[in-house]
Amino acid sequence: MNPPLPSSGSPLPSSGSPSLPPPTRIRPPGGVVDRLRRELFSTPADGMLSLALISVISTGLFSLLRWGFVKAEWAVVQVNSTLFAVGRYPSAEQWRLWLLTTLLAAATGITWGLLRAFPRPDRSSRPWPRNDFIAVAVLLLLALWTPWALGLKLLIAARWLGIATLLIALRWLAGRFGPQLSRKRVGWLALAWPLLYLLGMVLINGGLWMATVPSARWGGLLLTLLEASFAILICFPLGVLLALGRRSELPLLRWGSVLYIEFIRGAPLITLLFLGQNILGFLLPGGMAPDRVWRAAWVLTFFAAAYLAEAVRSGLAAIPKGQLEAARALGLTTPQALQHVVLPQALRIALPVMVGQFISLLQDTTLLSLIGLMELLGTARTVMANPDFLGHYGEVYLTLAVLFWCCCAALGLGSRALERRLDPSHTPSRS
Amino acid sequence: MTPAAPGSPPHSARIEPILQAQEVHKWYPNGFHALRGASLEVSRGEVVVIMGPSGSGKSTFLRTFNALEDYQQGSIRIDGMPLSKDMGNIDAIRREVGMVFQQFNLFPHLTVLQNLTLAPLLVRRRGRAEAERRALQLLERVGIAEQAGKFPGQLSGGQQQRVAIARSLCMDPKLMLFDEPTSALDPEMVREVLEVMQGLAADGMTMVVVTHELRFARQVADRVVLMAEGSVVEIAPPLQFFNNPGNERTRRFLDQIL
Repeated sequence: MNPPLPSSGSPLPSSGSPSLPPPTRIRPPGGVVDRLRRELFSTPADGMLSLALISVISTGLFSLLRWGFVKAEWAVVQVNSTLFAVGRYPSAEQWRLWLLTTLLAAATGITWGLLRAFPRPDRSSRPWPRNDFIAVAVLLLLALWTPWALGLKLLIAARWLGIATLLIALRWLAGRFGPQLSRKRVGWLALAWPLLYLLGMVLINGGLWMATVPSARWGGLLLTLLEASFAILICFPLGVLLALGRRSELPLLRWGSVLYIEFIRGAPLITLLFLGQNILGFLLPGGMAPDRVWRAAWVLTFFAAAYLAEAVRSGLAAIPKGQLEAARALGLTTPQALQHVVLPQALRIALPVMVGQFISLLQDTTLLSLIGLMELLGTARTVMANPDFLGHYGEVYLTLAVLFWCCCAALGLGSRALERRLDPSHTPSRS
Repeated sequence: MTPAAPGSPPHSARIEPILQAQEVHKWYPNGFHALRGASLEVSRGEVVVIMGPSGSGKSTFLRTFNALEDYQQGSIRIDGMPLSKDMGNIDAIRREVGMVFQQFNLFPHLTVLQNLTLAPLLVRRRGRAEAERRALQLLERVGIAEQAGKFPGQLSGGQQQRVAIARSLCMDPKLMLFDEPTSALDPEMVREVLEVMQGLAADGMTMVVVTHELRFARQVADRVVLMAEGSVVEIAPPLQFFNNPGNERTRRFLDQIL
């Protein structure tokens, strides 16, 4: 048999034999002092630059810490923590949100464990890679520290700890007993996520036997995540269809897609949001645009779809023509070839750009405060307008920044994990 | 196989030829006249090798046989079915015609086994177990059954091309088209692919092969075709084609490559 060729585009040799030892990092000899000297002070100019940077960074860090621990008064965040979390959601109905959070944590834990239980067929993977230990530690730390820092009641703090424990326990159980399930069954379990999303909508909104909570009372992180997740979920299929439409051979479809994409991309989101509040009610059939919250969600969706279409288009353009030809030559119809051959590869290529779009979409939800929605920034503005907390802008904005950073970091981490799992160059696993 | 005069079908073909291409003309959108009345008939079980200088339209001609290229004039019939613009017809023909590309065109996001079973599952609607059994059989035949779980990017060029051949065979085609199957390979991998093709020919597969491999043409082909400037200038059995070509254009071509 022939010697395996290094596959193009991958820096690591992708070997035919899975028994190839993983690449080891060569560490130069010497202790910490040697290493510091080598990396920071190898020449006089390097040394000067390093010293200057160290002093700037440490000064900045020191003042921030001093401000955070000495000068800042965090009561503004502690007192209003519920407002920041869920807005004016009636407290008698908040059990639904607790239930939803618990279900989401359970689904996350199970999914996480199953992903570890079913690694890619061409990769070996330990049941508990080091990253998972770090994630568990961070999770526990957050579940313990946040309620304490916010000064939550013991009962509520215990709930958070319980939810975190549930997540970790299910992660362990699914990782341990997942391999006994068949791959097909596990695939069906993925359907739990869309079902859970629908259930979440019902829980938040009310319906069935539960009282309706009007959307005007939704707020804070709840509203931010709701708007962002809705827009991300719906804009994805829309964007793919638009990208395909733009490459279609039917002129009407092609020009329609181009017109839509270029119109949306040519207008600032804030004008579209104002426009949406005013005219969306006329454009959509009655009942589809019932209130401000959903109107804003649809505008965000339509806005994001245009940008997503361009990301998908770049992915489609990167697929060699031979792929479609090979699929068609095998007798696949064009929709089959798109679904099974072209789109999986194109979306994988477009993934980093798409997630970038999702992250900016999440941040763009702050614009909703300008049209009067009480999402995170809107809530912050009302809190800061309260005479009791006048002047505590820094505390509020820093909290907001950290919250957004956490959400965006989670999206980014998820995206990178997905990229690795779908990596077409098939380098040996390093986990 | 009886020797045949250029352009005329072999007399031994009692049943209808599997491929009949008559006076095929193709213009590219920019006006370039790529095929100028090319004709070819291939009987069942026959191996036809198409040779010719680059730009002579041999790949284009081959690609019209499963409608990867369209044509404006003339007619092509595959197994009696006319190849028209009707999409249903094109899909029916593509199911019966296998194609192997110069660049392999394996699906890099699927394992070797998934590459082989995709079309049988979707197009032939076979059961998964049956499709996989057949796929493993064919991988065995091209000599790489042990690579079934790997991804194409982990295989050598020669292995990839053999997977591509097996992928086509999974659809049980009545006719196999090869578009310069060894041109993208490193020299030491050419032979393993040619041996697989030779084995196919020995088993009676009908094949049309565009290639520059003289030895393959000499040893395996029933007839060798020379194309130049978009038309077929000579069709002859290999012995006659290489030793005593009837056409001046063929002589010049052979002078250049031998």
